[in-house]
Amino acid sequence: MAEIALDVNQISKNFGGLQALRDVTFQVRGPELIGLIGPNGAGKTTLTNILDGVIKPSSGTVYLNGRRIDPLPPYAIARAGLGRTFQVTRAFRRMTVMENLLVPAMAKHPTARRSDLERRAMEVLEFLTIDHLRYEYARALSGGQQKLLELGRLLMLDPDIIILDEPFAGVHPRLMEVIYRYITQVNAQGKAFIIISHDMETIFTLSRRLLVLNFGELIADGDPEVVRRDPAVIQAYLGSDSDEPWQPERRAPTA
Amino acid sequence: MKRRLVLWGGAALGILLLVVAPFTFLHQAYLVHIGIVALFYAILASSWSLLAGYAGQFSFGHMAFMAIGAYTTGLIGKFVRLASAPTGTCTEFPLGGWYLVLQNATGPNCLERGMAQMPPGSLIVQPPILVGILAGTLLGGIFGWLIGVLVLRLRRTYLALFTIGFSEILRVAINAEIDITDGPNGLELDPLFPNGLTLFGRYFEPTDKLPPYFVMLGLFVVSMWLMSWLASSRFGLFIRAIREDQEAAAALGVHVVRYKVLVFVVTSMIAAAAGAVQAHYIGVITPNILLILQMSLVISMAVIGGLESLVGAAIGAILLEFALEFLRRSFTIGTLTVDMTTWRLVFFGILLMLTLRFQRNGLIHPLLERITRAEALRETVAKRQAPAEV
Repeated sequence: MAEIALDVNQISKNFGGLQALRDVTFQVRGPELIGLIGPNGAGKTTLTNILDGVIKPSSGTVYLNGRRIDPLPPYAIARAGLGRTFQVTRAFRRMTVMENLLVPAMAKHPTARRSDLERRAMEVLEFLTIDHLRYEYARALSGGQQKLLELGRLLMLDPDIIILDEPFAGVHPRLMEVIYRYITQVNAQGKAFIIISHDMETIFTLSRRLLVLNFGELIADGDPEVVRRDPAVIQAYLGSDSDEPWQPERRAPTA
Repeated sequence: MKRRLVLWGGAALGILLLVVAPFTFLHQAYLVHIGIVALFYAILASSWSLLAGYAGQFSFGHMAFMAIGAYTTGLIGKFVRLASAPTGTCTEFPLGGWYLVLQNATGPNCLERGMAQMPPGSLIVQPPILVGILAGTLLGGIFGWLIGVLVLRLRRTYLALFTIGFSEILRVAINAEIDITDGPNGLELDPLFPNGLTLFGRYFEPTDKLPPYFVMLGLFVVSMWLMSWLASSRFGLFIRAIREDQEAAAALGVHVVRYKVLVFVVTSMIAAAAGAVQAHYIGVITPNILLILQMSLVISMAVIGGLESLVGAAIGAILLEFALEFLRRSFTIGTLTVDMTTWRLVFFGILLMLTLRFQRNGLIHPLLERITRAEALRETVAKRQAPAEV
C-alpha cells in the first residue's frame, strides 16, 4: 500500500468579513494519530468541512495521495480516501444499523456482492460490540451506540484518513473505551486519524502529534509534550502569559 | 429466506387476485372501471411514495408529470401523422422513406390542403397509440430530469412550493392554449384499442373494459416490479440515506446529485406512463386533472397506505378508490338525508387527519412490516436476552 499523504497548503477561508482560516498548512505522512484542538470558534470544524469538500476554501489547495481534492465534491473526496464523522451524530435514523453500514460500502464498491458486504458489516459490528442491533432502526440506538455506528460506517468506507469530530462527547465511559480501542486498533492497521476533541485528557493521551488552531491560524504543530509548553498555546487556552506548562489532567481510558 | 418467501408469495397472491378480479368479484363493467381507476391511482401513489417516502422529495408536481404523459400522447394523436409522400403544406420531416407530418393548430388544416396535391394512392396514417404512450413517458422523464435539476438545492417547504408552482403553470398554460390543447373543454383521445381487440377467439369492442383493465394491470405490475427492484438495490439505499441526511450521505461516498435527479426521472416516467394509458382509456383529458385536489388525493392515498412503502401506498390507493365509490350511496336517518357524494370526502379527510396524528406510518405499512420484519426482531430480542459478555 502506498504511503498515506495529505498535503494542506495555505488554506484560507473567509465568510464575508470574517476570516475563519488563515494560511493553514500541514502535512500528514503515514498512519499518524493527530489531535486537532483549539478554543471554540478557532476554525476546527471549518477546516474539517474544507477537507471533506462541504465548503470550498477561499484560497489554498489540498492534496490527498498526490491527487488534488479541494475542488472535488464531498462524495468524490470520500471515495478518494478521506472519511469523517460529525460533531452531532448523524446516523440515518430511519434505516437499520445494517443498512447504515451498507451505504458507504456500496458507494465505495459498486460492483461488490451485497452478501460479501453484509459479511464485512457483521465483522465491523462485532468489533464495535453492536452486532446484536443490526436489524434495529438507528433511531432506536442510544447516543453512544449511534457514535459507534458512525465509526462503523467509516470502517466500511475504508478511507486512508479518518477525521473524528468530538468522538468522546457525551459518551458513556464503557463506550468510550470501545471508541478508544477503535482508534488505536484501526490506526495500527495503517489508517491516519485527525481527532478533534475538547476532552483534553484523552486527546493528550491518545495523539502522537497535536495541531492547535486559534482564531483561524495554526499556532502549534508537534509533539504533545512540546505543544503543551508552547507559550502561544498557553496564551490561547489560559489567556495569560503564564510560564507554567499547560497541564490538562491526563487519564487514559482503562481499555 | 423466510422473509423472501413471504414477499414473493404475497406478490404472487396479490397479482393473482387482480388477474381473476374482473372475472369474479368485479364482474360488472362499472366495477371493472373502478378497478382501472384504482390501479391508475395505485401507480401514482406508489411512485409518489418512492419520491416522497423513500427519497424525501415532497413534490406536489406528480400529477403534472402524469398530465405531461397524457397530453403528449393526446397531442400526438391530434397533430402528428405519418405520410408516404410529402404534403408540401405542413411542417414535415423525412423519416425512413416516410414523412413525419405536424399539422397546424390554427388556420385552414394544412393536411386537408396537402392531400389534394399528394400523388394518388398516398397514405396518411396516425402513429400507433403505443408510440404516443412511449413518447409521453419519455417526455415525462425529460421534465422529471429538468425539475430534478432545478430543485436540487430546495428542501421541504421550498420544494413543495416550487412543484406546486410548476403544476399550476402547466394547468394555466393548458387552459390558455385552446387552439392546441382544447383548453378547459378537454383534449379527446382515441381508445387504447381503436379497432377493438381479438383475444383467445373473443372480440372486444374499443369501449370494452377488460382490455384496458389488463393494460393498466400490466403497467401496474411492471412499475411495481421496477420500483421494488430499485428500492431494494443500492439506488433505494442511497435515496433513503439522502432523505435522512444528504450531507452525511455525501460524506460516505453517495453521489447525491445523481440519485436525487434519477429518482425524479424514474417516478416522473412512471406517472407519465400511467397518465397516458388512463387518458386513452377515459378518452378525454382536461386541465382539471392538475387541480391541487387531485394531487391531494394521491398524497392522501400514499399517506394512509404508508408513505415509506410502495406496496402500502398501492394497497391504500386501491382500497380508498373503492371505498370512495361505495360511499357514494346517500342514506336517511329519520328526516335527515346525508348526501354521501359530498360527505364521503369529509370522512376521507378525517381519516387522513387521524392517520397523520396517530399512525404516521400509515395503516397498511405497519401490518406489512410486522410480517416482513418479524424474523429480524425476534433475532434482536434473542441476542439481547442472551447472557452478555463482559
